[in-house]
Amino acid sequence: MAREAAVSKEKSTGNGTADGAGAQHSLPDKDTCHAVLAKMMLIRRFEERAGEMYAKAKIGGFLHLCIGEEATIVGSTQAMRDTDYLLSTYREHGQAIARGTPPKTVMAELFGRVDGCSKGRGGSMHLFDMERRFLGGYGIVGGNLPLATGVALQCEYNGTEDAVVCMFGDGATNQGTFGESMNMAALWKLPVVFMVINNQFGMGTALERHSAVTDLSKKAEGYGVPGSRCDGMDVLDVHSATTEALRKAREDRQPQLLEAVTYRFRGHSMADPEEYRSKDEVEEWRRRDPIASFSKRLVDEEMFSEEDLEKLDQEAMATVDEAVQFADNSPFPDLDSLYDNLYVLGEQVRGWWSVDERSPEPHRGEREREAGRVPHELAEAGAAYAGVAEAQERKRRQRQADEEHGEGEGEHAADPRDVEGGGD
Amino acid sequence: MATDVMMPRLSDSMEEGTVLKWIVEVGGEVKRGEPLVEIETDKANMTYEADTDGVLIEVLADEGQTLPIGEVIARIGAPGEEAGGGRAEEEKESASEEPEPEPEAEEKEAEEEPEEEAEPEREREPEPARAASSDGGGNGRVKASPVARRMAREMGLELAGISGTGPGGRIVKADIEAAAKGGGTAVKEREKEEEQAPPTSDVRPPTSGADGAKGEVRTQELTRLQRTVSRRMAESKATAPEFLLNMEIDMSGCVELRERLKEVAEPAPSFNDMVVKACASALREFPRVNGAYRDGQWELYSRINVGVAVAAQDTLIVPTIFDADQKSLGMIARDARALIGKVRDGNITPPELSGGTFTVSNLGMYGIESFSAVINPPQAAILAVGALKKKPVVDESGRIVARDMMAVTLVCDHRILYGADGAEFLARVRQLLEQPLSLAL
Amino acid sequence: MRYREALNQALREELEADERVFIMGEDIGVFQGAFKVTAGLLEEFGDKRVRDTPISENTIVGVGVGSAMAGLRPVVELMTINFALLALDQIVNHAAAIHYMFGGQAKVPLVVRMPQGGGHQLGPTHSHSLEAMFLHVPGLLVAVPSTAADAKGLLKAAIQDDNPVIFIEHEYLYGQRGEVPENGGPMRFGEAAVRREGSDVTVVGISRMAVTAERAAERLAHEHELEAEVIDPRTLRPLDLDTILESVKKTNRAVIVEEGWPHGGVGANLAALIQEQAFDYLDAPVARVTGADVPMPYSKPLEQAAFPHEEHVVQACLALFKDL
Repeated sequence: MAREAAVSKEKSTGNGTADGAGAQHSLPDKDTCHAVLAKMMLIRRFEERAGEMYAKAKIGGFLHLCIGEEATIVGSTQAMRDTDYLLSTYREHGQAIARGTPPKTVMAELFGRVDGCSKGRGGSMHLFDMERRFLGGYGIVGGNLPLATGVALQCEYNGTEDAVVCMFGDGATNQGTFGESMNMAALWKLPVVFMVINNQFGMGTALERHSAVTDLSKKAEGYGVPGSRCDGMDVLDVHSATTEALRKAREDRQPQLLEAVTYRFRGHSMADPEEYRSKDEVEEWRRRDPIASFSKRLVDEEMFSEEDLEKLDQEAMATVDEAVQFADNSPFPDLDSLYDNLYVLGEQVRGWWSVDERSPEPHRGEREREAGRVPHELAEAGAAYAGVAEAQERKRRQRQADEEHGEGEGEHAADPRDVEGGGD
Repeated sequence: MATDVMMPRLSDSMEEGTVLKWIVEVGGEVKRGEPLVEIETDKANMTYEADTDGVLIEVLADEGQTLPIGEVIARIGAPGEEAGGGRAEEEKESASEEPEPEPEAEEKEAEEEPEEEAEPEREREPEPARAASSDGGGNGRVKASPVARRMAREMGLELAGISGTGPGGRIVKADIEAAAKGGGTAVKEREKEEEQAPPTSDVRPPTSGADGAKGEVRTQELTRLQRTVSRRMAESKATAPEFLLNMEIDMSGCVELRERLKEVAEPAPSFNDMVVKACASALREFPRVNGAYRDGQWELYSRINVGVAVAAQDTLIVPTIFDADQKSLGMIARDARALIGKVRDGNITPPELSGGTFTVSNLGMYGIESFSAVINPPQAAILAVGALKKKPVVDESGRIVARDMMAVTLVCDHRILYGADGAEFLARVRQLLEQPLSLAL
Repeated sequence: MRYREALNQALREELEADERVFIMGEDIGVFQGAFKVTAGLLEEFGDKRVRDTPISENTIVGVGVGSAMAGLRPVVELMTINFALLALDQIVNHAAAIHYMFGGQAKVPLVVRMPQGGGHQLGPTHSHSLEAMFLHVPGLLVAVPSTAADAKGLLKAAIQDDNPVIFIEHEYLYGQRGEVPENGGPMRFGEAAVRREGSDVTVVGISRMAVTAERAAERLAHEHELEAEVIDPRTLRPLDLDTILESVKKTNRAVIVEEGWPHGGVGANLAALIQEQAFDYLDAPVARVTGADVPMPYSKPLEQAAFPHEEHVVQACLALFKDL
């Protein structure tokens, strides 16, 4: 029953309602509404497709979907300037897309391909787009708060007008870095908005089971960081609250803690059987689906027609189709790139030694890639253990390359393991 | 409190020893100074005496087992004291794995010591074989550092012929360099073989083909002494650049002297004793012949200790006649007789086998007229003595007469002796033997 | 000039040379640093560039990482290497990994300075030598300077480098004097120093142990007629393995001296590398002299017994030549 109470409390404290999202915020102009809805729809479709691709073993590891949190993501990022920085958690596909990272490079990253936004090095949890100042998804709960504080320190240090938004989950508020970062940001008056995306669960542990204070917006007050709350299911409310928080952070040099109360409709990850919550509870939140409610209001206020919505959805689907196709066609990273980007080589450090534990031959560094036949063969041998899909994919590409170059030599026979279903 | 009995060091060059026989059985009383165990050293079989009183409560080295010096081989304790070592535990375990274990073995061990004595003895029997086949410490594999191995391989030197000066007798780079400087007489292996076969398998020749032509191969394990001989001989050949000096000595005077001494002395000195005495006297005058080349230096010894090579028990033993220059011919004869007897009986002791500064090897009794010998390293020379034979000789007056001639060959290490040195020494030996009265003084 | 003054000079010069450089840490400003390395810098550069922080190691380093990603060149001081353990998350999961895991898009030009080592009776939470922990992590550079000149040259290089650098100083060395070249520039990482030439045995000394190794070498020469070649790698990543291997190929023997623990230590790592790369040149097993396998005790005799001194190095070298 505590569960129900908590949910209803969030609902009452949030500004939105189940049937009339953001009624107190008047709708912005049509272009903005179009952009906001399009992004939310794109993220939704992207995530759904990612889930499918995961089931098809195109995506490995963990896959954390943000379905249900689209309003929180789009509402907040929409309030940011292009020059502002965003740091997020491992549930960050939506954030990257919202900041403008092409969905196809996000999908390629999930596929582990060379055209991924992190070149296949990071995967689902570690997307990155420096150009758009999306400074990463991070796999360590609470690990990105100090980083965001540091980025904000740079803004302050260089006297820019840039600000930082740092997103993390309700579970992260229990980490030491939460308090440490709040304190330091407040002490040094840094332009950062700490945005806690309260989706009610730290993995499978419900908020009231992991945090003594369930009004998370109050959790930083003792550190000198004022808090506020918004309805994470209402894109306009999130936008409004984030705009205000960013203004205070930017202009008043007062870091902010903003809590977006939301809900993820899917499990923590794809491997989550969701035994910690009831179907009824999920259903109740689904009735407040941020996309459905915003769409409804747009139609109700006659800004959009049903056809417009349908068209938007078609566009989103097409973009996602294209993303999947792009990802599928992107090659896996060259095995010789295994050691690339481990170090920044420069005048001071031109080379370095790394010893592959499987071979006594040293890798002398990125510029001396021709580390020798043995390390390369070892890499090939290791890569042959990739899942069936990856192995087939590599084989297919190898054949293609051979045909193109007229070389008869095929790839080593793969010795693939069973495809693992992933999981936490 | 039990006292550990360690593998004793029983010779200057001993690094490990083999337990031949436990004279006292487990549970038996041990008295200080009384024989406890027989140990085979690199030079001889030795009886080792207990250095404490008590009861032999535990034996850790079984008969046949080879252990380095200092390893605990047994424990002596108070009567009734229990064995406590880890080794005993292991044996209990292995005992319980036997097909026919005695269920109460462990209880018995504690309660009735005498009865369980026989049991472990029997159980331990297989161990020596295992130890012999897998002992990496020294039985099969020569201890050599990687760089020494590589250099030996490149130079075609046999590691077995080189003695190690590194910790634990490990052959190190310096040893190879010394061996190489001494003249690479070792067989140069074909490089092809080197490349194909890993270094460790060099020891064993390929099993196919060759065997058939030679019939069945019966391999025979070398005794410790045999191994020592083979190692030292190979070392000598590999390191000492040798040259040979041949000479015939008219022994007629010695023959005459011996006839006379037979009447007065018992035992009568042999011709070999006379050769030993002549050499000893000459060595006093030519100190370098009584020396050794070692590590780039000459070592000249104050004592003149002449070794006499004796064939015994399928091996070669060189007992030493100490201070031979100061001993009368009669004393040398007695010493030699006693030493040869001990060698034949197998109870020669390491001190009697070490300390030689020159060696005489005599194969005259086998009718060998002339031969060459291998220097006993690090000595400077060895004198190979052939048989006495009546030969026609032209005397001072130009007449042809029959004389008792004996061919000798002096094998010299050119690192310490040069041609003239050897020749002068040999001439002096001849002079002494041809006018043997001085020998009898 | 003392080691700590050399460090101070490097910091001052780099603060002067590059506006992006700033230093932060606990009590580095008003208090002038727990070991006075940052003395005078606050007055000279102000509190924007010389920042006292709260006691929050993980976040201090994380702030360093974040600001470095965004374009600054922070130099973080942690009061002792033991406190760096509170920041291992940021060091390993972020500083070391970010350039790699984001496909080279972001750089982390961060220096994390910290002193290590025993001898001052600071007990089991302030005296350890943990360079091996950082050496373990790909993506980090690790410097272990043992002289005043190296301290300055390597710190300047570390600050100018685009990689995260773990810069490990030593509490004993802070007070040691050494020649420091006038107007010396940054040194190159990955260049070992041959402190003493010798032909009989190669002794590799890490951090303060390079000094101990040099003293031991003098004794070996005077008392045992053994000429030890003493090598100070100066940086563990990148490691100048070539110089070490060259030496080992000459001497055929190697002893590695470190103050840290034996298991999984720098010596263990080096021994593996040496035997992998120079097996056929060895005349003896690669020997290690390490700190005792215990948390650093407080009591003076115990503490002294828990880390290597010249005598240990001498004995280890002799043991490679003969049975002791």
